[in-house]
Amino acid sequence: MEENILRIAEKTAEKLSVRYFEIRISRVTTTSVLVQNGQIDELSNNVETGIGVRAFKNGWGFSSANDLSRAEKAIKTAMKMAGVSRGPEKIYLGDPIKDTAFLLGEKRVDEVDISEKLEITKLANELLKGENVKNRTTSYGDVIVETTYLNSLGSEIRTATSRVRLRLSSIAFEGGKTGEYWKSFGGTGGWELIERVELEKWAKFVSRKSRDLLRAKAPPSGKFDVIMDPELTGVFIHEAVGHATEADAVKNGESIFAGKLGERVSVEELNVVDDPTLPGKFGSYAYDDEGMPGRRVEIIKNGVLNDYMNDRETSALLDLPPNGHGRAQSYAHQPLVRMSNTYVEPGNWDPEEIFEEVKSGLYMIGDKGGEVDVTTGTFTFGAKEGYIVENGELKAHLRDVSLSGNLLEVLKNIRAIGRDVKIQYPGYCGKGQWVPVDDGGPHVLTRALVGGMR
Amino acid sequence: MEAIEKLTRILHRKNVEWEIYWEAGRSTSFRAERERLERAQEKFFSGIGLRIGLNGRVGFSYITGLPKDEKRLTELVKRAEKLARVGSKPFKGFPEPNGKFPEIKGLYDRAIDELDFDEAHSLAKEFVDEMKGIKGEQEEYTLSGAMSFGTVNTGIANSNGIEEEEPRTGMSMWVYAVKKGQRSGSGYASQTYTTLQGVHEGEELIRRAMEEADLSQKAEKIEGFSGEVLLEPQAVEALVYLFLENLYGEGVYYSRSCFSVDDLGKEVLSEKISIADDPTIEFSPGSYSFDGEGVPGKKKALVSTGELKSFLLDHTYAALLGLESTGNAVRDFRSVPKIGTSNVLVQKGEEKLEDWEGIIVSKVFGEHTANPVTGEFSLTVELGYVVRNGEAKPFSGNMVSGNVFDVLRKVSWVGKEVERRGSFYSPKIVTEVRLV
Repeated sequence: MEENILRIAEKTAEKLSVRYFEIRISRVTTTSVLVQNGQIDELSNNVETGIGVRAFKNGWGFSSANDLSRAEKAIKTAMKMAGVSRGPEKIYLGDPIKDTAFLLGEKRVDEVDISEKLEITKLANELLKGENVKNRTTSYGDVIVETTYLNSLGSEIRTATSRVRLRLSSIAFEGGKTGEYWKSFGGTGGWELIERVELEKWAKFVSRKSRDLLRAKAPPSGKFDVIMDPELTGVFIHEAVGHATEADAVKNGESIFAGKLGERVSVEELNVVDDPTLPGKFGSYAYDDEGMPGRRVEIIKNGVLNDYMNDRETSALLDLPPNGHGRAQSYAHQPLVRMSNTYVEPGNWDPEEIFEEVKSGLYMIGDKGGEVDVTTGTFTFGAKEGYIVENGELKAHLRDVSLSGNLLEVLKNIRAIGRDVKIQYPGYCGKGQWVPVDDGGPHVLTRALVGGMR
Repeated sequence: MEAIEKLTRILHRKNVEWEIYWEAGRSTSFRAERERLERAQEKFFSGIGLRIGLNGRVGFSYITGLPKDEKRLTELVKRAEKLARVGSKPFKGFPEPNGKFPEIKGLYDRAIDELDFDEAHSLAKEFVDEMKGIKGEQEEYTLSGAMSFGTVNTGIANSNGIEEEEPRTGMSMWVYAVKKGQRSGSGYASQTYTTLQGVHEGEELIRRAMEEADLSQKAEKIEGFSGEVLLEPQAVEALVYLFLENLYGEGVYYSRSCFSVDDLGKEVLSEKISIADDPTIEFSPGSYSFDGEGVPGKKKALVSTGELKSFLLDHTYAALLGLESTGNAVRDFRSVPKIGTSNVLVQKGEEKLEDWEGIIVSKVFGEHTANPVTGEFSLTVELGYVVRNGEAKPFSGNMVSGNVFDVLRKVSWVGKEVERRGSFYSPKIVTEVRLV
């Protein structure tokens, strides 16, 4: 079938003078389980196949179908569409790559019976029980994506990538007050990633946190010294630096970092990296969706803007070495420049010293997501909980904390970067499409605007 | 349709309850970057989602395509049956036929369905030419955007005798404008439609995005403030959807909402606030004649003059709560029905708020960091204005914070002009918040 598809594509490309094309044929196997308050709320197991074709002539054309009998139609449509677009003059082509890369972990998830996946999700749900806990939600999801990537250069890359994720969530109510907490585990790999989760310890932790938050106070408002924990550092750096250094935003002149390569953008101690080759992380991959090997990118090096994440188009346009950051949600989506695993590298501070540095400020913990306007540099991000810090000591417990700032200001206001890096916060990033990512870093001290109730 | 007929025949031979949901459609879209039509795409999709009810349990599985192959269809049935045996959420059967499906005008436009690629391309090209024309020599602006067309045929059938099919079409446009200078500003405008009529509004969207970029460039952070502010519809939308998360039947059943069935009929918001969910609005992108389970779409008041009137319900959670489905099951063929909204309407008031003097919050972001259960939110102001003596000075970068229940309880004025943003309809409102 693949040979036939390639033959049709080559013939059509020749006829329509298409300069470059690529085809992704995927088989996607998914399982999802959702248990709420002991009841199974969702249980599904599905397999689908589909094709996505992208062609380049004067610009890009793309077509997809979730029914392989439409493969020929998708090829012809994509190539016809490429002819009417008026896009970039050139794209990076490079040499053909023939390779096979399987990231399936030690124990393939499709060899584990669904009843076992259900049992562990139910057990985790049971373990969340506790006084005042009114809602317990646990969800498990796995996906294996097997893709054959073919392009007009002669590349032929077969990949099989498996990702798993387990999420525990607890909501406590008492006397009109509410506390909510959750934690996610997972990565790129197999069932072993789930077996390694210390379920009892973490379920108790999540359940207890939701109860503790019942007594937590609303945060104060204003500009504060803020210590971010490794998880919050992750979302901060993803929002504040990651999105603005995706080269499509740079290419379109939208990013505040456009034209700033080589300039100092933060304190000298800051190093920010995006690395899809980290083993086992949720945002890891061997090849991106343009058939390019994923490469580690040193985005900020010693406080200087050093590189952008790019794809075939932006690397040619900005004359930068390609680094394999063209990612698509699925075969039915066009690749966009996206992050993988983004993190702040270790600094010189012991976490204890960072706390001692703060006379009056806030300690913010956990990630509730964020958003950024890459043009103005204004970003916002949420923490799951926090503490008032007075003379280096933790005081009142805080809930529902959102922070905001201008990325250039916040980066320059960094006062301390810890040694204690953690990158273990699997999640999804949206940019019109959803892709799995991870992020993290050490404890970091900076200043930001806190939008509190007091 | 042959695939559905075959699947129905296979299911009839089995002693199970069943529900088939199918879709077949196409979407075409064009993407402009730096006022050039750089990307075009066309996607084809179709699939069947099957739910099987067996001994008080339900299983779900789907396949892509509309295959006539008996073997694939039999495998689909087997997979859904297996999952029903392993057990799923409490199963309350599938809905029974319940009255006629409403006839809603303007959900399908043959002109979109039959639009061929060249015609679609020439409409997108006109849109991009408009961008170039309006930008003219103003090199400080960079414009990007997209125009999309979609058509889908959706059908449902179940073992209780529900059978219906509905074609729908859609069109959407968005524009993002960047204005460069000493510092940069950005503006964004978008709209969705069910017919081709919308293409004529492209020019207005381009102008609006550019105006916003202009204001955003001039906007500075302002001093903190606590008190009355005017919220424009985009900011109202953020708060209303945060509030609505408490009205989803599933959240009520699993205690994830701050409301319970006993709260129906209680006063929960300002008496100036009425919110409805209405899938029967003609020519509206959120409309449908039947929901994802084949329940007729109908208008329902969620909050009427501050009083909680209804939750948003599908068949299962309505039964579990001892209520009736409100026809709010939303889905695609890949998913089981979930509860969702159709068109959400905040009812207009009588105030003319055009001459408002004081603080106006126009656009906010960061909604997902808010806590819907406690209602507490801190959002970043993307654009706002301070109006003094009729003169408006833009601001941004402040945070606006409060508790959504308090904020919607303290609404003092409601405007009389309603603005549509996709499937959300709202006037401007005045309430009390804190600006940090």
